Amino acid sequence: MGKLEGKVAVITGGSSGLALASAKRFVEEGAYVFITGRRQEALDEAVKLIGRNVTGVRGDAANLDDLDHLFDMVQKQKGKIDILFASVGKGEPAVLGAISEQHFDKEFGLIVRGTLFTAQKALPLINDGGSIILTGSVASVKGFLGFGVYAASKAALRSFARTWLNELKGRKIRVNVLSPGQVDTPDSQRLDKATREMFESLIPRGKMGRSEEIAAAALFLASDDSSYVNGMDFAVDGGFSAV
Amino acid sequence: MGKLEGKVAVITGGSSGMALASAKLFVEEGAYVFITGRRQEQLDEAVKAIGRNVTGVKGDAANLDDLDRLFDTVKREKGKIDILFASAGKGEALPLGQITEEHFDAAFDLNVRGTLFTVQKALPLLSDGASIIMTGSNASAKGFPGFGVYAASKLALRSFARTWVNELKDRHIRVNLLVPGAVTSPMQEEVLTKEAREFFESLIPRGKMGQPEEIATVALFLASDDSSYVNGVALFVDGGMTAV
Repeated sequence: MGKLEGKVAVITGGSSGLALASAKRFVEEGAYVFITGRRQEALDEAVKLIGRNVTGVRGDAANLDDLDHLFDMVQKQKGKIDILFASVGKGEPAVLGAISEQHFDKEFGLIVRGTLFTAQKALPLINDGGSIILTGSVASVKGFLGFGVYAASKAALRSFARTWLNELKGRKIRVNVLSPGQVDTPDSQRLDKATREMFESLIPRGKMGRSEEIAAAALFLASDDSSYVNGMDFAVDGGFSAV
Repeated sequence: MGKLEGKVAVITGGSSGMALASAKLFVEEGAYVFITGRRQEQLDEAVKAIGRNVTGVKGDAANLDDLDRLFDTVKREKGKIDILFASAGKGEALPLGQITEEHFDAAFDLNVRGTLFTVQKALPLLSDGASIIMTGSNASAKGFPGFGVYAASKLALRSFARTWVNELKDRHIRVNLLVPGAVTSPMQEEVLTKEAREFFESLIPRGKMGQPEEIATVALFLASDDSSYVNGVALFVDGGMTAV
């Protein structure tokens, strides 16, 4: 029996990258998952890759109407949520001095505002004892050049986790942040060789993470194996931020 | 197939509490475990509770001769270590103003010095890709009155984890700190008064202390390949007590 037998998971951003790998793993462990994405084509491919027990819902997590549509679908199809995995957001670089309002609004609009309203709109459907996972980033505990807005937006999620775990304690809902380090993904494969090698040199084992390794950590936070883990900012980065 | 099929684990302090619960779970997942404890009777009971695939080695983790004897036994019986769970440790409460040299030495000799030499003496036997887990305490993130020496000793381990991640990286050995909060256990019942227990429960969002099994599942995660990209973390398992 899988670790998520009979559970329903909603994974925003689940049509690509680490969230997709997690969606796959959750289904393998017995869950039904709803994944979201902005592009229908990527969403359809993701649904096909996962293969079964999955519904793709097109939408932008920064758009509150799309969120309403998502949770309407979840309510109609399953009526409950056990795991909410809010995983949208990508870092785009802009150094202080060259930050436009658009850049700020885009990052905070999606990562902070979008995640907040994702969680809030999900609340009526989340089961007592549910698990909320927010995707952070090790960038939030470092000062990478050009990633100030991104890092701050991810740090805000770490703060939300603390507050929400308190506000939701009566319902025994746990809230944790999963902060991936450098992971081998289509995005990172587009980096030039020198940058890739630089990142790898900062990871103790010398190799980037695989998306399956992030998925295994997400599964841990989603399942009862982490029943006494709450309010953590859990770095899954091979030790990059520890040393 | 279990998550620790064919693996050998050494668990200091594994004759009671959270470490014993972890030893049991590791064996259920296919590992062979060596557990240590200072009292033969308790050690024997623990070995019986685990039931199979276990060797009990009497010893004090603060005593370097006992550590040598432990690792000689491991070498003879199994020849390797895949998981080293250094969980021997103790805390007694004394506030600043009343701290004796004995109180300080007892805590630091076991929790810090003993853990360091446990890990160092295990090094020749550790497999490449092995997982080292040390037991911290969420007291290190707070200032609970009376727990100053204990908290400081456990935070030292968090620092060791960072350094050893780096020093052992070529062997791909991961080092993580498992940081429990308030968990029901024999040690806790020894150290805490009823008032203190109720105080801690009031600080935990769900209102109930952790069970040893809830620590064991996290230890298993850190011991297994499920945590292959988790390294150098202080994984708090305290129900959110220190997060809020």
